[in-house]
Amino acid sequence: MKDKDSNSDVLVIGAGIAGIEASLMLSKSDRKVNLVEKMSYTGGTAIKFEEVFSNMECSTCMLSPLQQQLLQDKNIKLLTLAEVKDVKGEFGNFTVKIHKKARYVDMINCIGCNACFEPCPVSLKNEFEEGLSERKAIYVPCAGALPNVPMIDTEHCLRFNGKDCKACQEACMFEAIDFNQKDEQIEIKVGSIILATGFDIFDIKKIPQYGYGKIEGVLSALEFERLYASNGPTEGKILLKNGKTPKSAAIIHCVGRDEKGYCSSVCCLYSLKFNHYLKSKIPEIKIFEFYTELSIPGKSHQKFYEKMKDIGANLIRAYNIEVTKQGQGIDIKYNNGNGKKNNVKVDMVILAPAIVPKNDASDLAKIFDISVDKFGFFKEAEHNVSSVFSSKPGVFIVGCSQGPKNIQDSVSQASAAVGKILSSS
Amino acid sequence: MDMKIGVYICECGPNIAEKIDIDKVIDAVSSLNNVAVVERYKLLCSGDGKKFLGEQIKKHGLTHLVIAACSPREHQQTFMEVCENAGLNPYLFQLANIREQCAWITDNKEEATKKAIRLTKAAIERVRYHTALVKKQIESNPDVLVIGGGIAGIEVSLQLASPDRKIYLVEKTSSLGGLIKNFEKTFPDMQPCQEFIKQKINDVNKNANIQVLTDSEVKEIIGFFGSFEVKVKKKAEDTDEVNFDVGAVVLATGSTLFDPKELSEYGYQKFENVITSLEFEKMNLSGKITLKNGESPKSVAIIHCVGRDKKGYCSEICCMYSIKFVKYLKDKKPDIKVSNFYSDLCIPGKSYQQFYEQTHGNNVDFIRAENVEITKKGNQLNILFKDEKGIKNNLLFDMVVLSPALEPACNTSQLSELIRVSQGDGGFFAEEHEKIGPVSTSTEGVYIAGCSQGPKSILDTITQAGAVSGKILSSLIPGKKIEPEVKVSHISESFCIGCKTCLNICSYGAITFDETKKISVVNEIICRGCGNCVAACPSGAASLKHFTFNQIYQELKEAV
Repeated sequence: MKDKDSNSDVLVIGAGIAGIEASLMLSKSDRKVNLVEKMSYTGGTAIKFEEVFSNMECSTCMLSPLQQQLLQDKNIKLLTLAEVKDVKGEFGNFTVKIHKKARYVDMINCIGCNACFEPCPVSLKNEFEEGLSERKAIYVPCAGALPNVPMIDTEHCLRFNGKDCKACQEACMFEAIDFNQKDEQIEIKVGSIILATGFDIFDIKKIPQYGYGKIEGVLSALEFERLYASNGPTEGKILLKNGKTPKSAAIIHCVGRDEKGYCSSVCCLYSLKFNHYLKSKIPEIKIFEFYTELSIPGKSHQKFYEKMKDIGANLIRAYNIEVTKQGQGIDIKYNNGNGKKNNVKVDMVILAPAIVPKNDASDLAKIFDISVDKFGFFKEAEHNVSSVFSSKPGVFIVGCSQGPKNIQDSVSQASAAVGKILSSS
Repeated sequence: MDMKIGVYICECGPNIAEKIDIDKVIDAVSSLNNVAVVERYKLLCSGDGKKFLGEQIKKHGLTHLVIAACSPREHQQTFMEVCENAGLNPYLFQLANIREQCAWITDNKEEATKKAIRLTKAAIERVRYHTALVKKQIESNPDVLVIGGGIAGIEVSLQLASPDRKIYLVEKTSSLGGLIKNFEKTFPDMQPCQEFIKQKINDVNKNANIQVLTDSEVKEIIGFFGSFEVKVKKKAEDTDEVNFDVGAVVLATGSTLFDPKELSEYGYQKFENVITSLEFEKMNLSGKITLKNGESPKSVAIIHCVGRDKKGYCSEICCMYSIKFVKYLKDKKPDIKVSNFYSDLCIPGKSYQQFYEQTHGNNVDFIRAENVEITKKGNQLNILFKDEKGIKNNLLFDMVVLSPALEPACNTSQLSELIRVSQGDGGFFAEEHEKIGPVSTSTEGVYIAGCSQGPKSILDTITQAGAVSGKILSSLIPGKKIEPEVKVSHISESFCIGCKTCLNICSYGAITFDETKKISVVNEIICRGCGNCVAACPSGAASLKHFTFNQIYQELKEAV
């Protein structure tokens, strides 16, 4: 445990829902928090969802008050576009080196009017929208992003590639754009660390039989989330690539489950939610939902499942699924529970891929000197009953960085980690 | 003192200035009563802008402030701070949103200007009726009442107890430990848990800052976050009552098993050797798994999801402990046949699939089955079922273990009334928010942990207990005062007709009934300012501070 002159400040890494919860709680107890976020915005993956199961609550409405609170909190220092490069020391006294990339837009002067986007001559795929829409080289990922301050993507900005363009600077009335900003190397001292770095989704292209990346109309769950989002690329219209409305859709669960060797815990429920997404926008749509085992644990989820069945979810237990292109449509071959071969034709396919560790999880584990499990998620300490302890004292792991889980469990873990920090000093 | 309203219109650079004719807005509001000054400024939220506002408030001796600028979500707090720093009560300020609601939604400058005038006038008319609201600070008691001495209650108590925070741990049975005491091992690590729980109980008993009250039940809890008065009664002694005060309450009352007798098809307590999972745990812990006749079973069936349909939810842990039972059985008798009859395998999370796969092969079956019925055939139990292909089938076993649903502990509804925490899905205590408030409740200062909130594993229970500890540690700090909401409801003594409508409407238990005066009374410390009582009150006696009828009426009159 920590000694008397240990540092009470905390470093939280990842400004998703778990990191936000942890930071706000720590601030409430008068702790100083350094919140390091790799992206230019807060909210993590949960802000990509229009609604969350099982109450179909608007996700941004749930999160943006918390994000706003975070930005206004005087105990929390948010460092966006920042990554931890080195950690030394131990519980109570860590020295952390952070690399903070320049945003090239002044956080105080910018008022978020977006006037700088239009004149930017560069156009490229917007990663936040899963590539379904375009963005400029100066951009915010989506409407409503917080902090509502754009960043310059120096990899694609003409000015940072030898050209003399200052279109954005000329458009800005607030002298907020500052090409002279420099990346910063920041060193901070903290007593404890919470890792809330989230997850990635399984690379579906590794399983060619789903046709992902080859067949138009085959989408990942995240792509579909953005398609339904009112602040997304189609402003919430569910459309095929050709601009038409799909008449039928298939939802396929457990994509990559066998390959990864675990059940990702949330896919059944969000896939059921997709029935609501589809039916609310296209009431006459026909939906086929292919699953292997229905995992809907907990007191509220069966009720939700039954509600989805009532609106027309057509669940089929299926194995050996193969997705191929057939004419204008998509053909799905499968074996049903009886072992019989069968097939359906649909216009759109939505794949629910496994949740996998964030691509930089193993690098982070090395930096923080903590163990990962055989899947690459941060590993809980052995001989400790609480899942929020990592193998290194003073470094806590919460949310999906520790393993696939839903928002409720991520929030519980974040609160639990805060509890461990507050009760240890 | 004369009312002096200052009105400031933000240009927001070109954002408002180019889309709205600000001079017209100034002309339209300058001559309104009590408007002492109207000015435009290029960017009020900037450092210079804030300084300018502060100076203006002092220079003109403003009593009220109106700013026409962006959404309150952007800068309401910014400007309230400016007021506070300049010595003006921050509630004597109103923000008119002429950016998001006017400038940014149309290219028609004339229409945008018209609307901006209306919204600014509305803000001016409203602000006249604002009253200064002052934040209160109240002393709080850091001590905590924990109800339930299972693993959740034990974890919370051990984590929270400290020299400046006393814990009262109330358990209705004669000993601590809860259900875990019956288990040999826990999934998925197959860690022995007897020593673990004994150690924990020992730690609790040794801790000078934890007062354990066994054989006890909570009889009364009154008060609010930071100050609850508690009465606890020892069961055996009728007269003996323990009274104490705490600042927070934790409900960790756990769960019990659904009674399989309610479903006659399982033959529970009708046929020998049909036992529940808990009975099996106890039998396993005793070291010997035997049939009624003392012999060792050669085959065991484990039936999942007993009572799932009836209860209407999946109990989350039955698949996993059923798989654990396979391991118990195989460890003791490697050649025993074990068949699991299940509907859907619920093994979420990174470590469970592996645990399940370890049981494969070696005389272990997982049979997806519907319409399971148990009958007797000779000395054996006959399981009739419909298999995955829809074909009727039957198999014989020596022993059947039923994995029943988890349901809330029997005193849940009694406690629910006692402490005004409602029961949600499945009768479990309802959390404040399904996603972002899983361990808090609608009653501030009352928290829920473990299976009292819903079925969950030991691991998740411990996480939740940690989460509750975190919530209490961060909000109920010894020596620190609590700041309750200021925009609260108020019930007028003269208008209240005593109909009690508001009492049922209030989800926070903030309203009580004064029996002598026959009127409802709001406890301002508990009230969270939701306004439900105001909407429901038939006599117009209830009003919400900062959102009074008159304030809203005056604002609407100009806005629409």
